Amino acid sequence: MRRPYWLLTLLAALLAVAVAPAAAAPAAQGPTNREVILATTTSTQDTGLLDVLLPLFQRATGYEVKPIAVGTGQALALGERGEADVVLVHAPDAERAWMAAGNGTQRLLVMHNDFVIVGPPSDPAGIRGAASAVEALRRIAAAGAPFVSRGDNSGTDILEKRLWQQAGLTPAGSAWYLEVGQGMGQTLNVADDRRAYTISDRGTWLARRATLDLPILVEGDPVLLNIYHVMPVNPAKSPRINAAGGEAFALWLVSQEAQGAIAEYGVDRFGQPLFFPDAGRDESELGASDRAPASSDQLAAVSNQPELKAES
Amino acid sequence: MDVLGSGLVQALGLLLRGDAETWRVTLLSLQVSLAATALSLLIGVPLGTWLALVRFPGRGLALALVNTGMGMPPVVAGLIIAILLWRTGPLGQLHLLYTPTAIVIAQVALALPIVVGLSTAAVQQLNPRLRLQILALGATRTQYLWLLVREARLPLVAAVMAGFGSVISEVGAAMMVGGNIQGQTRVLTTAIVLETSKGNFDLALALGLILLALVYAVNLALTWIQQRGHPL
Amino acid sequence: MSARLATSAAAAAAPRGAPLLGLRDVRVVRDGRAILDVAALDVWPGERLAVVGPNGAGKSTLLQVMMLLLRPERGAVRFAGAVVDARRDPVPTRRRMAMVFQEPLLFDTTALANAMSGLRLRGVPAAAARAAARTWLERLGVAALADRPARTLSGGEARRVSLARALALEPELLLLDEPFGALDYPTRQALLAELPALLDAAHTTTVLVTHDPAEGLALASRAVALRDGRVAAEGAVAPVLAAAGLLPTAARGGP
Repeated sequence: MRRPYWLLTLLAALLAVAVAPAAAAPAAQGPTNREVILATTTSTQDTGLLDVLLPLFQRATGYEVKPIAVGTGQALALGERGEADVVLVHAPDAERAWMAAGNGTQRLLVMHNDFVIVGPPSDPAGIRGAASAVEALRRIAAAGAPFVSRGDNSGTDILEKRLWQQAGLTPAGSAWYLEVGQGMGQTLNVADDRRAYTISDRGTWLARRATLDLPILVEGDPVLLNIYHVMPVNPAKSPRINAAGGEAFALWLVSQEAQGAIAEYGVDRFGQPLFFPDAGRDESELGASDRAPASSDQLAAVSNQPELKAES
Repeated sequence: MDVLGSGLVQALGLLLRGDAETWRVTLLSLQVSLAATALSLLIGVPLGTWLALVRFPGRGLALALVNTGMGMPPVVAGLIIAILLWRTGPLGQLHLLYTPTAIVIAQVALALPIVVGLSTAAVQQLNPRLRLQILALGATRTQYLWLLVREARLPLVAAVMAGFGSVISEVGAAMMVGGNIQGQTRVLTTAIVLETSKGNFDLALALGLILLALVYAVNLALTWIQQRGHPL
Repeated sequence: MSARLATSAAAAAAPRGAPLLGLRDVRVVRDGRAILDVAALDVWPGERLAVVGPNGAGKSTLLQVMMLLLRPERGAVRFAGAVVDARRDPVPTRRRMAMVFQEPLLFDTTALANAMSGLRLRGVPAAAARAAARTWLERLGVAALADRPARTLSGGEARRVSLARALALEPELLLLDEPFGALDYPTRQALLAELPALLDAAHTTTVLVTHDPAEGLALASRAVALRDGRVAAEGAVAPVLAAAGLLPTAARGGP
C-alpha cells in the first residue's frame, strides 16, 4: 500500500499553521489578571479614539485591554452579566438605572461631544435654523421626510427616542422612519444613500464627513449633548471580574494623560477635537459656552462647507 | 466602478508594501480557518465514514442532524458558543472568549457538519460490492477504512473545500466570539465590516479582494490534489 | 506464497482426502427465509469445483460464506482442518484465499497498482509486489495496460486485471463469482482457454460460480448444483449440469 506522503505533509502543514497562534500567544493562556475587558460603544471605535487611548493605557499600566465595541444596550448587558470588567458608554439615563441596580462600583464623567442632526443638503423638511432639536424632529415628521434611526438601543438611539417622546410623536411604523439596527457608521451610510435625516454624534460625523453628503443642519441644543461615563463593573457580579484592572482603566481615563489625549484627538485630522475632556466636572456644567462645541461659523472656516458659508 | 479599480490598486499596494496590519489580519484569517478546516477533516472524515458504514438505532436522526448542521447560520453558531464561553457560562474558566481559539471552535462547529455530511455521502456512493472486495483481498479493519477513504477521495476533497470555503468567508461567528479586537482577533471578514462602517470603502474592498485571492489560492491547491491522476 | 506451500505440504502430510474447505450444517437466513441451507459440502485440494443453479439459488451467498464475508446463522466452516469464524478474526484465513466478483471492482488507480493491492495489504514490500503483479498482468495478457488508470479499461481488460490481482496472491483457494458473465463472446472464449493452464500451473484450488455450461465444462473437474439454497446434485460436471437442466438435451438440440 502506497504511503500517502503528500497527504501527511499537507496535514502537517495545516496543523503547523493552526498551532502557530496558540504558540505565539502564551500570555493568553490560563486565567490572567493582565486582561481587562472593556465593553464600549461603536462610536468610540469608529472614531478611532480607542486606537489612541488603549496603547497609552497599556504602556502606562501593563494591562492589556480587550475592547468589545457593541451598542450601548449590549455593553451594559455584558457588564451586568459580569462578562466585562469596565463599561464606557454614553446613555446617562440607562447608566443611572444600571448603577442603581448595583452593577457598577462608580460612575466617572470622562468626556462629551454632542449630537448633530444631519440631512440632505436640500433639506426638504426645512429644519435648518430650527429653534430646537425637538422642533426639527416635528418638522421632519410633518413633512414625512425620510429619517434613519439606529434602532439598536445605543446611546444615540436612546437619545433619539427621548427626543421623539418630548416632541409628542411616535414615528415607529411610519413609512418614512427607517430603523436599521446598526452602528453609527452604517447608519450614516444608509442616510447618505437614501437622502434621509438622521442624528449622529459629531465625532463619527467628522470622521466620515469627507465621504458623506450630509451637512449638519441643527446643532448646539443642550439636549443634544452626548456625555460619556466610565463605570467599573461591580466585582460581586462574577468571581472572574478583573476588578483591579477595571478600576485602573476607569481611573486612568480621568487622569491627566488620558484627558490630554482626548483633548487632542482629531485636531490634526479634522481641525478640531472630536471629544471634550470633562473629568472632575459636574455634569450640569456641560454645555457652558467656554466648552461648547465649535459653532457652525468656526466649523465652516475650517471645513469649507459651502452650505454653511451661504447661511452665514 | 472607480471604487473597484482603486480597491484593486490599494489591495496590491497593501500587500506589496508589506502593510503590517493587512498582513496580520490576512495571516490570522488563514490560521484560524485552516485550523478549523484541519480539525474538521480529522474528526469529520472518520465520523462521516462511520456514519456511512455502521447501522445503529438513531442513525437516520443523526444524519438529519448533520445535514441540518450544514446550514447552520454562522452568527447563530457564534452566539451559542459565545454564551458557552462567557465567564458566567459553563466553559468560562477556559478564558477563551475573544481569542483566536474561540474563533477556531466556532468555525469547527460550522465546518464539521459539512465535512461529515459530505463524507458520509462520499462513502455511501461507493459500490457496496467494492467493500466486500476490499475485505476479500484480506484487508484488516484499518486497511479497509483507509482504502474506502482513498476510493472516495474526489468527493472527500470537495468536502474539505466546502468546509474551508464556509469558514474563511464567514463573519458572524468571528465577530461574536472574537470581538474583532485589533491585533488579536481581527480577521479579514470582520475588518471588512469595520472599514465599511467607518466609510473606508476602498480599503474594505481591498481587503475583500485579498480574501478572494486567498480563497482562490487554497482551492487551487486542493483542486490540484483532487484532480491528480484524473485528466478527464 | 509460503502459506500456500505450507498448506500443500500439510495437505500432503494429512490423511488423503482431507478437504481444504468444508461446510457442515450451514444455514443463512434473510428476511425469515433460508437462502442457504447446506448440510455438507467439501472442496478438495487442487480441484476445480463449479457451483451452478438458477438465480436466487444461493450461489453467491455460498461463496461469501466460504470467503468468511458472511457468518451463517448456524453451522461450521472449516479451512485446512480448523474451524474458522467470520466474526472472529477472519483476516488471516481470508488472506489464504482470494475472490473475484461478478464486477471487476478495481480501485481508482492504475492497473498495476490494482494488481499489487492485495499483496501490499499483506505487507509485501513494494518492489516484490510490483514484480509479482507485472508477472501476472503479463500472464493475463494485459501487461501493456499496467500504467493505465483502471477506469479507462474496457470490461474485458478490467476483468483480466481483477483476475491478475487475485492470482498474484497465489491463494490456496480461489473463489470466482461468475467472472466471465458480462464479457463479450470472444473475450470470454479467450479467457476460458487461458485460465485452466494458469490455475494448473499454480495448483490453485478453485470454486467457480457460473451460469454457463460451457464454462463449467471447460474449467471444472467437479460440480454441485444448488436450488433454493440446498444442494440438489453433486458430482461430475456433465451429469450435474444435466440434472440442473443446464445442458441442452439431444432431443431439444442446441440452445
